[in-house]
Amino acid sequence: MELAKNLQQLTERLNYIRDIFGGKHQDDINLLSSRLEEFRHNIETQANINFDEGLTTLEDLFFFMEAKLENKLTPMDNVRIVRHPQRICLRDILENVYDNYTEIGGQDEHTNDPAVLIARAYITRKRGKKSYNQSVMVIGHEKGHGEEFRNGGSAKPWGNAKALHYMHVAEIEGIPIHSYIFTPGGDPVEDYPGAGQQIAKNIYKMAGLSVPVVALFSEGGSGGAEALSLADKRLMLSHGYYSVISPEGAAAIEGRLKRGERASAELIENCAANLKLTAKDNLSFGYIDQVLQEPTLGARPYHFDFFRTIRQEIIRATDEIVLNTKGFSLFRINQLRRLRDTETNLDDTYINWHLPKSLRSDLVENRQNKFLRMSKGSFINRQSMLGALSDAWTEQWREVYNRLVYDFFHRYRRTYTNFLEEATAEWETIKTRAKKPFKSAYNKVRRIDTTAQQELTSLSKWDRADERGGWNWVSTRAKEDKSVTCPNAKTHGCLDLWTPDLYNEFAGVCTTCGHHFSMEYQWLMYNCFDVNSLYEFNSEWEAGNPLDFPTLDQRIKDAQEKTGLKSGCITFEARIDNIKNVVAVLVAPFRGGSVGAAEGAKLISAIDRARRKRYPLIIYSHGTAGIRIQEGTHGVIQMPRVTIAIRRYIRAGGLYLVVYDTHSFGGPVASFLGCAHYQFAIRSSNLGFAGPTVIKNTTGIDVAPDHHNCYKALSRGHIHGVWDRRDIRMNVKQALLTMGGRNLYYR
Amino acid sequence: MEKEHKVLIANRGEIAVRIIQACHKLGLSFVAVYTAEDAHSGHVALAKELGDSKSLYRISSYHDANELLSIADAANATAIHPGYGFFAEDFRFARRVTERDRPLIFIGPSWRVIRELGDKINTKRLARSLDIPTVPGSDKPIYDEAEAEKVARSLFEFQVHQGVEKPLVLVKASAGGGGMGIEEVYDIDLFRSVYRRIRNYAMRQFKDDGVLIEQRIKNFNHLEVQVLCDRAGKNPVHFGTRNCSIQSTGLQKRVEIAPGFDPSSITYPFDAQKVMDDITEYSITLARKVNYDSVGTWEWIVTKDGHPFLMEVNTRIQVENGVSAAISRIKGKADVDLIAEQIRCGLGDPLGYTQSDITFDGIGIEYRIIAEDTEQNFTPWVGNIDNFSWNHTPWLNMHTHLPQITKENPYTIPTEFDPNLALGIIWGTDLENVKERGKEFLNALSITGYNGQSSTLKSNIPFLLKNTDRILRF
Repeated sequence: MELAKNLQQLTERLNYIRDIFGGKHQDDINLLSSRLEEFRHNIETQANINFDEGLTTLEDLFFFMEAKLENKLTPMDNVRIVRHPQRICLRDILENVYDNYTEIGGQDEHTNDPAVLIARAYITRKRGKKSYNQSVMVIGHEKGHGEEFRNGGSAKPWGNAKALHYMHVAEIEGIPIHSYIFTPGGDPVEDYPGAGQQIAKNIYKMAGLSVPVVALFSEGGSGGAEALSLADKRLMLSHGYYSVISPEGAAAIEGRLKRGERASAELIENCAANLKLTAKDNLSFGYIDQVLQEPTLGARPYHFDFFRTIRQEIIRATDEIVLNTKGFSLFRINQLRRLRDTETNLDDTYINWHLPKSLRSDLVENRQNKFLRMSKGSFINRQSMLGALSDAWTEQWREVYNRLVYDFFHRYRRTYTNFLEEATAEWETIKTRAKKPFKSAYNKVRRIDTTAQQELTSLSKWDRADERGGWNWVSTRAKEDKSVTCPNAKTHGCLDLWTPDLYNEFAGVCTTCGHHFSMEYQWLMYNCFDVNSLYEFNSEWEAGNPLDFPTLDQRIKDAQEKTGLKSGCITFEARIDNIKNVVAVLVAPFRGGSVGAAEGAKLISAIDRARRKRYPLIIYSHGTAGIRIQEGTHGVIQMPRVTIAIRRYIRAGGLYLVVYDTHSFGGPVASFLGCAHYQFAIRSSNLGFAGPTVIKNTTGIDVAPDHHNCYKALSRGHIHGVWDRRDIRMNVKQALLTMGGRNLYYR
Repeated sequence: MEKEHKVLIANRGEIAVRIIQACHKLGLSFVAVYTAEDAHSGHVALAKELGDSKSLYRISSYHDANELLSIADAANATAIHPGYGFFAEDFRFARRVTERDRPLIFIGPSWRVIRELGDKINTKRLARSLDIPTVPGSDKPIYDEAEAEKVARSLFEFQVHQGVEKPLVLVKASAGGGGMGIEEVYDIDLFRSVYRRIRNYAMRQFKDDGVLIEQRIKNFNHLEVQVLCDRAGKNPVHFGTRNCSIQSTGLQKRVEIAPGFDPSSITYPFDAQKVMDDITEYSITLARKVNYDSVGTWEWIVTKDGHPFLMEVNTRIQVENGVSAAISRIKGKADVDLIAEQIRCGLGDPLGYTQSDITFDGIGIEYRIIAEDTEQNFTPWVGNIDNFSWNHTPWLNMHTHLPQITKENPYTIPTEFDPNLALGIIWGTDLENVKERGKEFLNALSITGYNGQSSTLKSNIPFLLKNTDRILRF
């Protein structure tokens, strides 16, 4: 009986090896297979012999081969390991790492989203004879072992909403959050709420969560992973991956595949290697704090020793966060030394995970700073030494100025003006009351005002400077003698439009149905803001190639030549009716408006500038295809980074306005754009988490043509209004006057 | 005309007939267009009669600029005549016609002039800059409530000062048009609420909360000055005035008389001749100022006590051009054709005469004969016409696009366009004479028809007869 069981185990191990190498290393596998068959044959034919020795030899062979193959693992093999149904899942961890747990917010498939699992659990630790139960909130993706209803760990929007809700609960109860990332990516279909919008809300929340958060990555797929992983400490399993996109997705983009086509195995393998998605790579980039070494060829549910490792490391991580926040006193130095000693059994020590209220802001600040420090060197900064020096100098002055003007002068000015206003109001009432009898008498004897009548029939003065006469910037397309057919012509009966009219006077709007044709990014830059009020900064920051992705250098160069820009993001200061703003534009013609390390850095710098100067901040997404996949994790890390900067800005009392145009998809929408409290779209624009092709490729669903339309986004509650392009200046000005926080300079 | 020209007629009905005739008279080739509903219209028959194989095209809509321009290219046209309505006052069309890769001549004013005079506020300000009288009130959009109230208050006082019994003030959205966003105020205390309502309406509808405040004038006569100018734009001439005060309830003109007043047989409480001289002088001044370079009509209102105010400028040939032509003589010669003059000058010919060469003789009336129920709010009558006849006399000029109608071959009135059937232009030596002839014409005019509900044709002939007596009076 025992023998049969062992044999079965070996067969499973063999099948597992077959699965994860996807047809490679056939010699080794055949050797194992033939030896196993031989052994099985022996058992069946020869009775009453002791097979123990043979079994041990066979098992040794297996161990030897597995160790040999472990060294030959390619990144794509790792991806296959992570996706294998035998991979450990969150329920295994709950069973084996925690001492007690209750699943909340659902049970198996009876939950709004079986791909997201929430549990309250505790870890029991001892100090001397006394034992302590330390409560945690466990939030994570549940892939299960191949169950259909788990949706492969792809969280639906409401799954992320559930996670957000329990993060909030954890914050109220003051218990740490342990978050487990087992997702190939978020479910891309927009729904109520929208997928991108919900992820953005999660990231925004986690950026300011006041309890310790530890995240453990096994499979970190892009936006879906970011929704739960903005943590103080990020651990990663050694065979896991953390990437901006699945290797298949990258291959589809690199190979320029059409809908439904499949990439070759070789291309996928190459993409996996180029994306640098393994734990080791991410550790070296600094996006991961620690790697947990798994058993050979990946952890499976029967590797009970490994669960002990997870438990120790999770405890260690949480302890460290708490200790770092509390600062170092004499006692804690000792505690920390014990903590760093890998020999100590952390179950026998005890550190209280509860943070006093006074320290919570420190915790948040530490987390934010940690993320903001990341990916510093992954773009090219061609700014001269002198320029950098002068920037630093002005920054210092700005600090001093702020202290003086806002912290000192404004505070007292407010008190003074309040008093003055009240006094004047009082005086006015007294004055009118006193003048009343005289005034009515005067009205009776008043003679007709001849100058007023003169004004009725003669030419008055009219400064037409503020009147809208033509556009400041006109597209070159307006010079062609051509006519364009509106895409709604069949349904709305629109007449063809003459391009010199359409792209000049009509601002790209169909006069019949109001369809907005896409315009160049300069149109809004020069027509929304005051003429000659644009001042660009950080223009020397240049998009780089941090992963040395093949051919990316050439493609960046091509984009730079085509657009005359250094990166896909322009940041500048501009005025609208003398209200100064900081504006960032994501430029669609530059590599699809994708966001990489340079764009992220420019955005963060612009956001900081707006925060320091107390200007309103406008991000105009002229179009973005998402995160620049060729930058891998350097790109994806911009999602939490920029969102953190945004959160700081909003918390400082600013006004953050997002305007979407043409097509906006992917990471930016699911993070720093989607988290804005004031988001508006220009009519006929499309926005969402993933484009129709990506949805088709990942889920096989054909979405309706208006699935991502701005009006759909409006009804999903993602954006807060749809604007006509011709009224953009008026609408932005209206927004500046009516929206935003308390700390804008012009308030 | 130095080079051979071919004129595309981008219009239908009566004006298309007139343009074809004018082209024929000038020896120009032409291209006419028609839609399916107009297949039996007179302009199609005439184009077949006078044109060649490339003179008639069927199109899907008179509104489709692309289609018209591709026909102009296919037929090798060199100029486009827009007629009235459709593209006549569309400066974008005029600009497109003249600025495309294969430019054509737009027979009408240059697009800049159309744009400049198409904007009522701009016209008013231009007029005021030349000391031409305009309706008292603001000449720019007002955005400030206090300022608006100040203007309204002084407007009331102004009217009281002028002796107006019931002063009225008009509040209208400056970006509006076609009667949208206009309200009357009779009491200054109600002004604020009306102002706010209009401002909010304007903000919602036109995204611009500017408001105009003007005097509301009642009991006025509607006069027009017919102006003509060549492409040089230096020496505009006028063809006298017209009185277009007899209108349907929807403010559509029904009877037009030239000249605008007749002081020789009617006594007015003011110097009518001086008013007519003034408004022609003012119109010519403004035309010269903007370098006007085609035919156009300056529309005036004249109050009961003889104050003229410039209302707007129509930068096109008008329906009632024939009545001005009927009383005009160029160098003593009758048979003036303003459409032919417009085409001739539009293609680049100099005018060839001055104001002193234009003289006026007698009085003209133009009746617009329309199948409509004048009792029922001028509702158009729809159906088939099986008889349409009149007495041919030397003093009558009948313009119609109706084909030869017999009992067997009736004409179906298309419902897609305006319901005009014919224009009857009558000339007389003096007012009594022309009224007599007018009545004679209307009495002899026979028009019958039937429709699916077997109701008999209703026409506006009784209305025209009734109103003939009160022409040129207030």
